[in-house]
Amino acid sequence: MSPLLPDGVRRLFRLSLRRPDLIHEAIDEELRFHIEERVAQLMARGMSADAARIEAIRRLGPSLPEVTQRLHHSAERKERSLAMHERFEEFRSDCRYALRGLARRPGFTAIAVLTLAVGIGANTAIFSAVNALLLRQLPFRAPNELMSIVLVAPATKESAPSDNPWSWPKFNFYRSVQRSHSDLALYANGNFIIGATESERVTGEWISDRYLGTLGIVPALGRDLPANLDAGPGAAPLALISDALWQRRFNADPATIGKTVSIDGRPFMVQGVLPAGFRGVTGRADVLVPITTRDAEDLTQSWSLEFSMIGRLKPGVSATSAESEAALLGTRIYDASPMKESTVGPDAKGGWSAAAHPLDALRVSPSVRRALLVLFGAVSFVLLIACVNLANLLLGRAAARRREIGIRLAVGAGRARLVRLLLAESLMLALLGGAASLLVAWLGTRLLQAANPMEALQAQGLAGLGVVGFANVSLDGAAMCFTIGVTLLVGIVFGLVPALHATRTQLTEALKEGTAATPVRGFHPGISRSMLVVVEVALAVVLLVGSGLMLRSLGNLLSINPGFDAEHVLTMRLGMIPGRIPRDSMPGFYNQLIERLRAIPGVEHAGLADCPPLNGGCNGTIITFPDRPEVKGAQAPGIGVHVVTSGWFGAMRVPLVRGRLFAESDRIGTEKVILISESAARKHWPGQDPIGKRAAIYQGGFHDGATVIGVVGEVRFGTIDSLPAPEVYMPYTQAPRPSLMIFVRGKGDAASLAPSVRQVIAELAVGYPIYDLQPMTERLITASAQSRFLASLLALFAVMALSLAVMGIYGVMAFGVQQRTREIGIRMALGAEPGSVLRLVIGEGAFLAGVGALIGVGAALLLTRVMRSLLFDVAPSDPTTYLVIVALLGAAALFASWIPARRASRVDPVEALRLG
Amino acid sequence: MTAPLSLIKGTLDTLVLKSLSWGPRHGFEVTSWLEERSTGHLAIDDGALYQALHRMEERELIRAEWGVTSNNRRARYYSMTPAGRAHLRAESSALVRYAETVVSILSARTA
Repeated sequence: MSPLLPDGVRRLFRLSLRRPDLIHEAIDEELRFHIEERVAQLMARGMSADAARIEAIRRLGPSLPEVTQRLHHSAERKERSLAMHERFEEFRSDCRYALRGLARRPGFTAIAVLTLAVGIGANTAIFSAVNALLLRQLPFRAPNELMSIVLVAPATKESAPSDNPWSWPKFNFYRSVQRSHSDLALYANGNFIIGATESERVTGEWISDRYLGTLGIVPALGRDLPANLDAGPGAAPLALISDALWQRRFNADPATIGKTVSIDGRPFMVQGVLPAGFRGVTGRADVLVPITTRDAEDLTQSWSLEFSMIGRLKPGVSATSAESEAALLGTRIYDASPMKESTVGPDAKGGWSAAAHPLDALRVSPSVRRALLVLFGAVSFVLLIACVNLANLLLGRAAARRREIGIRLAVGAGRARLVRLLLAESLMLALLGGAASLLVAWLGTRLLQAANPMEALQAQGLAGLGVVGFANVSLDGAAMCFTIGVTLLVGIVFGLVPALHATRTQLTEALKEGTAATPVRGFHPGISRSMLVVVEVALAVVLLVGSGLMLRSLGNLLSINPGFDAEHVLTMRLGMIPGRIPRDSMPGFYNQLIERLRAIPGVEHAGLADCPPLNGGCNGTIITFPDRPEVKGAQAPGIGVHVVTSGWFGAMRVPLVRGRLFAESDRIGTEKVILISESAARKHWPGQDPIGKRAAIYQGGFHDGATVIGVVGEVRFGTIDSLPAPEVYMPYTQAPRPSLMIFVRGKGDAASLAPSVRQVIAELAVGYPIYDLQPMTERLITASAQSRFLASLLALFAVMALSLAVMGIYGVMAFGVQQRTREIGIRMALGAEPGSVLRLVIGEGAFLAGVGALIGVGAALLLTRVMRSLLFDVAPSDPTTYLVIVALLGAAALFASWIPARRASRVDPVEALRLG
Repeated sequence: MTAPLSLIKGTLDTLVLKSLSWGPRHGFEVTSWLEERSTGHLAIDDGALYQALHRMEERELIRAEWGVTSNNRRARYYSMTPAGRAHLRAESSALVRYAETVVSILSARTA
């Protein structure tokens, strides 16, 4: 190719201006010309030709080759930069053109932007939750070095091996023999009463001295606990407080450090203030108190398995080797600190072990993880449908612009150039939608924070580490990157397809007069658009089925009889300040409290229990029978243990099935008595009357045996969806506990009892904080929080999906009718009835919806299997759900095609033919 | 004859723009004009001049196009863009101010 063509000509014929060899040739020519001119000039001044040539080259600079090379280089750079600039300018003008085009069609633009805003925004919101709960690093130093080490109890006849926390002696043993960790620490949830006056109850953690060190946290103010606190019981009463508590209770006074504050009635010195935002591994601690300040008894009992262990790996030690070490050392733990026989039953020594896991693996419970992933899947389906709709709209637009595109192609615009032009439009739409989506995402994250289904799970101890939660859901940098990424992807991918499609147009065909000249075969509004509708319907069906299943599951959960009557019951806890009431006076105190509560007008029953129903599990032990052959310890059956007063059964309306409830005569010194649940009766005395039978319960001093005096109804103490387990109830008077929960049944609204109940308690227990006060109905609602959360979000997404799908069907059918006005006119002129036209259009819509529904049902059968563990009492293939969903979708599809169909049946043949 | 003066950075662009302010010129015309006006006192390599032209084209201060000389030779003609004209105005007044200041300091006779 000759370099002699002018640049303008090259541009005109789209010849490359920027091939390096052409650039070089141009430079060489310019230089040649320059040298010739210079030589001519010098010769005119009297130089010889040779001398002039030498001088001309000298004046160029260093040497001819070097100057040439430099100029080649600078010219290439210039051309590259100009080319980039040109591209950019072109892109800018494309965008301006696209924006002008969008502004001219505000209806189309508004629908597209709104669709995308909702689709992308919902995705960003859910992504924020996924990021906060599943992805973001734990807020500790080098969190991947942190391990959780658990004690593994042997399998029993009824249960698989279970993970357990540690007792102090077992922890000490493990710490002394392990080699994998540079630091080990214990922590356990605790409730503390802070302040001698204006006492308040706060959540906190019992910790060992290297807790902060292990996590890599340094107090923001003051110091960490000294390293010698773990030496044994009777440690110096030092405490660390959270930044929040410091602000709230101590007015952020730096002099708080070194001050003495009453914790559970004992003076503690504030040693340090934790960094803002750090609330312990449990995520809720306001105060950290050394375990070694507890009673010596708590620290010597090897069976009080209460503390969770964390460890930081030594540099260079892998998690895997720490895991194998735990498995290896685990078998030695039992012998090093044997359990008391009465707690594990006879011969239960064997089989105990230990296991280590990366701490991160415990961040959320598997069900929360699964629920989030299901939501993420669902919301991405919504976006996919939104995108399909967008592609559909763009295809429609492109079809309407066939002539324009045809003309542009005819006058020589390259296809790539046109695709870029059309792509600019979808990109602009996506960017507008993406920007608007931030508002939706912000609202979404606020809603997620407020809904916080984890709170309920945390209260039940089912949520994982606690430090990971919905409170941390926020629109952070990651969320922004996600939004931008999704926006660009949407703009490019779902704009590219229609753009490529539109520019494939046959020139001659597009240029033929009018749109009506497009070939009409059957009633297909363009095969691509029909396919998009099918895809859309299929996606919507999957979402609808998912949410339908979840709603059915929620319905099943809500119809469960939990075994008690939650209406009119008010529940609360009383913060008992240790040592304020002597142990021996506790029963007297509670008796008095119950009597005064019962005396409140409108109160029917008042009772106490150590653990409320739907608590995610209460304490339990094993049961043996003195009159039967001895069973091996680990093989002995387990049973849930509850300490209650008689009034509790009345307050909760738990029915007495046989025998009698506890009486005043059942107290310390008299024969020990127990009540059992129906399932315990069925299991342990099948076909017999259990009344009067003896059983040994390895807790609360009942391991010598007690007499069954009655059978009561089943109560769900675990989760709402777990079957009632065998339970045994001990009378409070024979098994006193310091901390009990109060249950009061009134005649009217439970919450309205609160003021008088508070007053009675305040009179009897001056300064004792009341906390966790809520109607029992609230606890019942909380118990299904996760299902509610999942079901309501899935339902929301399904509604969005359905609306989008309806919009999609409507759009395609309306477009088809509009394109075929002429054809319909001819049909009607030839005698077609309006009814047959109506049927034709509706039939087409129903066909597309039917194909989509068929594919969707297949996909749903496959995909909803991942929800199996989240569903209660519904199979993922539940036929009812599928039938309802398909019917719902069919109705929606008919509705969506009925409007365009009616319009088609009203076409005036004369008008249609004239306009054509 | 004193040694030729080397140029302060950025000055060359302004001088080239000035030479183009009377209309399009090819590279050699720009050089000869500068030599003529400076009566040979400025040391500018011809190669450096072409590099400056490329740089200014990249910054869109000037535009280049192939043309034909009076004796029918093909040559690359450079012309000033509106941006170039603005640049020339701004830079030349700055250079003049600079030169005047330097001169007034150096010609001071009292402390």
